[in-house]
Amino acid sequence: MNTTAASYLDNTGKDPTQRAPLVLGANDLHDVTDKVCGIIENPKPSTGWYVGMAVSLLLLAVLGYSVFYLFFVGVGVWGVNNPVGWGFAIVNFVFWVGIGHAGTLISAILYLFRQTWRTGINRSAEAMTIFAVICAGLFPGIHVGRVWVVYWMFPLPNQMEMWPQFRSPLLWDVFAVSTYFTVSLLFWYTGLVPDIASVRDRAKHRIRQIGYGILAIGWRGSNRHWHRYERAYLILAALSTPLVLSVHSVVSFDFAVAQLPGWHTTIFPPYFVAGAIFSGFAMVVTLLVPARKWLGLEELITLRHLENMNKIILVTGSMVGYAYAMEFFIAWYGGVHEETFAFISRATGPFWWAYWIMVSCNVIFPQLFWFKKLRTSLPAMMVVCLLVNVGMWFERFVITVTSLSSDFLPSSWGYYYPTLIDFTTLIGSFGLFFTLFLLFCRFLPIVAMAEVKMTMPQAHPSKH
Amino acid sequence: MNAHAASMERPVLKDKTRLGDVGPKIAHAALILGLIALGGSIAWGVTLEGGKPLWKSYLINFAFFTSLTLGGLFFVIIQHVTHAGWSVVVRRVAEAVACNAWLMALLGAGFVLGGGMGSLYEWWHLHPGHGNHLYDIKAPYLNHTFFYIRFVAYFAIWIVLSQYFFRTSVKQDESGDPNLTLAMERRSPLAVILFALSLTFFAVDMLMSLEYAWFSTMFGVYYFAGTAGAFFAVAILTLSFLQGRGLLTESVTKEHYHDLGKLVFAFVVFWCYIAYSQYMLIWYANIPEETFWYQNRLGDGWKGLSLFLLLGHFFGPFLFLMSRWQKRRHGTLLAAAIWMLFMHWIDMFWLVKPGADMPALQSSVFDLTLFIGMGGLWVWALFRRLQDVSLVPERDPRLGESLRFENY
Repeated sequence: MNTTAASYLDNTGKDPTQRAPLVLGANDLHDVTDKVCGIIENPKPSTGWYVGMAVSLLLLAVLGYSVFYLFFVGVGVWGVNNPVGWGFAIVNFVFWVGIGHAGTLISAILYLFRQTWRTGINRSAEAMTIFAVICAGLFPGIHVGRVWVVYWMFPLPNQMEMWPQFRSPLLWDVFAVSTYFTVSLLFWYTGLVPDIASVRDRAKHRIRQIGYGILAIGWRGSNRHWHRYERAYLILAALSTPLVLSVHSVVSFDFAVAQLPGWHTTIFPPYFVAGAIFSGFAMVVTLLVPARKWLGLEELITLRHLENMNKIILVTGSMVGYAYAMEFFIAWYGGVHEETFAFISRATGPFWWAYWIMVSCNVIFPQLFWFKKLRTSLPAMMVVCLLVNVGMWFERFVITVTSLSSDFLPSSWGYYYPTLIDFTTLIGSFGLFFTLFLLFCRFLPIVAMAEVKMTMPQAHPSKH
Repeated sequence: MNAHAASMERPVLKDKTRLGDVGPKIAHAALILGLIALGGSIAWGVTLEGGKPLWKSYLINFAFFTSLTLGGLFFVIIQHVTHAGWSVVVRRVAEAVACNAWLMALLGAGFVLGGGMGSLYEWWHLHPGHGNHLYDIKAPYLNHTFFYIRFVAYFAIWIVLSQYFFRTSVKQDESGDPNLTLAMERRSPLAVILFALSLTFFAVDMLMSLEYAWFSTMFGVYYFAGTAGAFFAVAILTLSFLQGRGLLTESVTKEHYHDLGKLVFAFVVFWCYIAYSQYMLIWYANIPEETFWYQNRLGDGWKGLSLFLLLGHFFGPFLFLMSRWQKRRHGTLLAAAIWMLFMHWIDMFWLVKPGADMPALQSSVFDLTLFIGMGGLWVWALFRRLQDVSLVPERDPRLGESLRFENY
């Protein structure tokens, strides 16, 4: 409302007598449509987009080659060994599933908490969720060894009476991740329908009209449509909310049901969920800071949106810190020799470097966000969020590898050396992620126009 | 945002916001009842079987009322952290509930100094270097001196925090200074950290160390889950009571109850999530160092109570509170709130009572009399606190937002 010229683009003020505006500048409802649709209606994307796409496709090709080589030669091309039977593949799986948590948290949980600022970022965050889960799903799929029978992961009736192990959390993962993917996709698509209809209505080219027309499933914006849309949205939000918690809880069960020191600890489920949200938000910030600049969306995805996300990173980072501390405390307090050893060995043993990368990136650097100056500074938040991404990858590495490499029997200990193919598969998975994200930026409205408009003063004329 | 223009004007409260003569009546009755029940129980129970039944019941109720108090503190802090608007009219009650920390400190001191520790905690009698290897490891944490230091620290944190938020908020009733809101918001993140750590280790010290051999990283979260959920039930009950006496009839609406109901529902689910995760992981790994704790809760009669906890603390309220209708109807929401408080008490009972010394389910008359005793004092302290202040933060800058709040 009272944003003066001096505070243009800075809506991070704290004045408790009024709520800060979420859309800045002199934008009305029509300008929002123009801005967001303009990105995909531009006949030629920017050079930056082409460069990004070229790099992403190159990385995707690296992934393709790595996977092909893996299929051709076998799992031996990876660094997994005995005792470390779970290496990069599981680390990457958990990492990507974690990244896929911010979108649904923003769309579902923040929706239920009436956090209207979510509208500026929910669309792109949800897209990231879906792409991240696709990347995650790749890894267990290529880790099974005999990839030609990968469908055996699902309990399909067959004449051999062969069933997956229902008592294994790995099977629960199949259900948890596929349910999460399905519901996230539905949720994302439901939110997209009114916006796709706007794109359809503005389309000049016949193919665009037909393409977006099919995707808009007959949306005409009638009262009846809006009514049903809002009901569906609320129900999907309610369904997604427990899923945000359940997916990473089930992933944590992969480790925590075991008796292995360092894996078996009861705080794992909420700790994994907090870590997932932490890493997911870091990825959203990492991508949106450049994207809003390049796509000219600074008035829609404002500094306040970014600051709020950084606050969530600080909160969830502190929760992760709490969990690290509790694990250490109980490892000592429990008095179980192997457990105490596992934790001391993490910090001082052969993988000490991974542990300290994890602690510094996940616990120490996010503390910078206590300072408003830093959490509202674009370069500072980029650095911290990139470090958080690194730290959260290392967290999964520390959990998976350190515990496996030195368990109860010193005679069975062993070190883990990742191979080149391990690294190319990891780097290649980013290619898959970025390719999908860039395609999304090019072909779908990356800001939820209809929802953003609802938060603008123009949508509530009676109040003015 | 649509709220700007209207929130600039100072809203006018149309209802009665002072306790007036309702307060002393309740406070006196509660005080007398509380003192009689508490005093009588202690006088009678302290010699009975070495005081063990008395102190077990005392601990159950102490953990219960402390958790209600902490729930209030959590609510206040979290509203400030999130700059919440909807909850302003509810916040004063939470601020006053949190201030009962001083009463819980006194009751806790009674337990610690009166012999409760020696009566219930095996580790209290152990000394390092006497061949108990497990205790030798834990002795740096589980020893008298460090315990006293921690115990004082917990209550010092809670008293300081609750007094700060209450006093600042009351000060704002007079001055209407929005800077006070900013000051509270600035301090709330640190308060969250202090709260989380103090609550966790309080739960470890008072409840988990009853079986000093047992350990679970989730334990603090478990106590927190019940704590937060129970407070929303307290808020619903307190506000209903006040409205029944003709207070706050305009400012607190169905919408606020609806939101409190949603939060009860949310914490019903969260509690179950935490309880399930803790149980399932211990059951699945099946390590004797951990399973014995649950084994104690599956013995004669205990199994039934454990199942009752699962049904009554999760399945029942989960189904009951799912619909919007139940949360917006006064009678059904009130019933759910009373039920959840009862189940939270059962949860505390379930945490404290079972053990090697009690293979079969037993309740004691002190469970009830001490509930009345501590409950009486707790209600007295709450109404004393609310006596001279407005029941809503009258000049909170976001009061207008809270008054206008609607679920759509």
